[in-house]
Amino acid sequence: MDVLDQLGALREGKLSRRAFNRSLFALGISPVIMPLLPRRTLAAPDDHATYFTWGGFDIPDYFDEYVARRGELPNFVTFGSAEEALNKLQSGFVADIAHPCLSDVPRWSATGLFQPVDTSRLSNWSAMIPELWDVPYNQTDGKVWMIPFEWGQTSIAYRTDLYELQGEESWDMLWDQRYAGRLGSLAAGGDVWWCAAIKAGIPFDQIHTEEAFEKISVVLREQRPLIRVYTDDTTSTDTALAAGELVATMAWNSTVVSLQGQGAPVKFAKPKEGALTWVCGMMLHAEAPKIDSAYDVLDSLISEKAAIFNMRDYGYGGVNLKAFDQFTDEELAALGLSRNPVEVLQTGHFGIPQSAEWDRRMTETWEQIKLGF
Amino acid sequence: MTLAAGQSMHAAPPGALVRFLHRHEGWRGYLLMAPAFLLMAAAIIFPIGMTLVMSTWSLSGYETVTTPGVANYTAMVENPMFRVLILRSLTIALTCTTITVLLCYPMAYYVAFHGGRHKAIWLIIMTLPFWTSYLLRVFAWKVVLGYEGVLNTGLIGLGLIEEPIAALLYSQTAVTIVLAHSWAAFAILPIYVSLEKIDRSYLEAAADLGDGPWRRFLRITLPLSMPGVVAAFIMMFVPTVGEYITPAMVGGPDGMMVGNLVQAMFGPMNNWPAGAALAVVMMLTIGLAGLVFVVIDRLLRR
Repeated sequence: MDVLDQLGALREGKLSRRAFNRSLFALGISPVIMPLLPRRTLAAPDDHATYFTWGGFDIPDYFDEYVARRGELPNFVTFGSAEEALNKLQSGFVADIAHPCLSDVPRWSATGLFQPVDTSRLSNWSAMIPELWDVPYNQTDGKVWMIPFEWGQTSIAYRTDLYELQGEESWDMLWDQRYAGRLGSLAAGGDVWWCAAIKAGIPFDQIHTEEAFEKISVVLREQRPLIRVYTDDTTSTDTALAAGELVATMAWNSTVVSLQGQGAPVKFAKPKEGALTWVCGMMLHAEAPKIDSAYDVLDSLISEKAAIFNMRDYGYGGVNLKAFDQFTDEELAALGLSRNPVEVLQTGHFGIPQSAEWDRRMTETWEQIKLGF
Repeated sequence: MTLAAGQSMHAAPPGALVRFLHRHEGWRGYLLMAPAFLLMAAAIIFPIGMTLVMSTWSLSGYETVTTPGVANYTAMVENPMFRVLILRSLTIALTCTTITVLLCYPMAYYVAFHGGRHKAIWLIIMTLPFWTSYLLRVFAWKVVLGYEGVLNTGLIGLGLIEEPIAALLYSQTAVTIVLAHSWAAFAILPIYVSLEKIDRSYLEAAADLGDGPWRRFLRITLPLSMPGVVAAFIMMFVPTVGEYITPAMVGGPDGMMVGNLVQAMFGPMNNWPAGAALAVVMMLTIGLAGLVFVVIDRLLRR
């Protein structure tokens, strides 16, 4: 029946119940069968592990080895911040693999939601850079809690043509009154709080003290009126920076590498106080339903190819030593990396694990500051 | 034979329930309501009860302490953040509701009185934007209001402004604009229905007695359509107060509403008891505001 006929019939109240039901049926059946139709072309979700990761890492480029072994991609679920991720896992969400950072490991492993990884099951483990995982709190009985995946810095990305630099590059750039309303910031306390500590001149081993809490809060409250938007969404940050909507923002390596790739005059600052450095990676769920597939995901993520992609396309440090052979020293320098990752990590400030109480208080304070209080 | 006869005499016959229901009209009603009531209990009353109970809990580290207390509520009185956010949410919701109702009334009026044979088509056209996902609509506004968005580039192209207007996006104005559009269908439909119901012979009578169009509108159409306007107010005001997605996407630091704080409490802050307490307070606030609208409605109906 023609749509207009039906509308006319509806208006005049002449649409028979049978015709009406038929239309409803047609309308109702399409959403039901639609998801079923292309199913065969997607990965069958039942056979593969689920990878719970930051938005932006849910891409096929890391999974060549996995696809070669198992034919299809694993399943992805994304989050915006580590706090959000842990909260979701604690309220019962089960993903085989989650993606926190090294300084989160003591808190995360204490929840009992994770199991240490048996590295003998990972074929690429021998090529790993040991400095990235070899800390006491990341190990138990010869097993490793977090398998490193990428390392990098949280620093300032700024437009060299729009931001007029006065003196040296410094964290003061994000507190610059001249550019009120054109500065951006990440949204997660895991980055912002630590960067503010650097700005406030607080050594990281003092960050748990009452005095540090007050000083950091003051610094962040002072910055808030200058900030246009707090976001962890790299796409928003990248487009805003490219458009000149933002002239400087707190960012990760990937923002700068992708914008430079598009020819935008953007630079990743080397603040004189030092940047925040971090190592992030995968933890295995204690009740991972697809444990074998999960081990294959881990193995694929630490493969040489995945590390090359991380370095070349995102500007993050790779974790697989073999990947570094594919780059010249100049290329590495241009990406802000070095053949010896420890060198880069030590030029910045590395986060120190904190207690659950500290984390709660920090997050609560930070969320309130963001809302303006 | 005797056995069968005795059975039919003494044992409860199968039609007892039917007979009982036939005699008691009230119970018939309850039985008819039972499926809906069970669904309500499972999907609404139980979660609300759970929220109320949880709002009295507290936290210690990652552990939830289930000893009842009012600490979450006293914290809300002491911390000015809650008051400011609730007031801001009410202001934004009231502003965008007022704007929407004012803009939608003429549209509904046109369709009801001049829609002619095409009323159904007009209504479909007006509700067409609501066939796409809510998130997509908010995102589309981001494209329109953005720094390099449609509006800014258009205004620059016309030579009206030189620099893009940054305040269009990530501000309370942006939240108000997007909400006013997003919920428009909820305002148009009730107003349309109340206008459609007006008996046209009243208008003819008024014309016969010498009233001009403006007086006819003020004395007949407007008063008779007021219930629709009040319904539109309630239907739009209630969901917009607790709005979360729109401020999160276009609000910026100063455009955040109370829904964002509730989300932060259930999300990154991981403080469900405090979030539950805030949700309860919001429920009461909205309930109170709804009551005001209902009272206005009653007064208008007298």
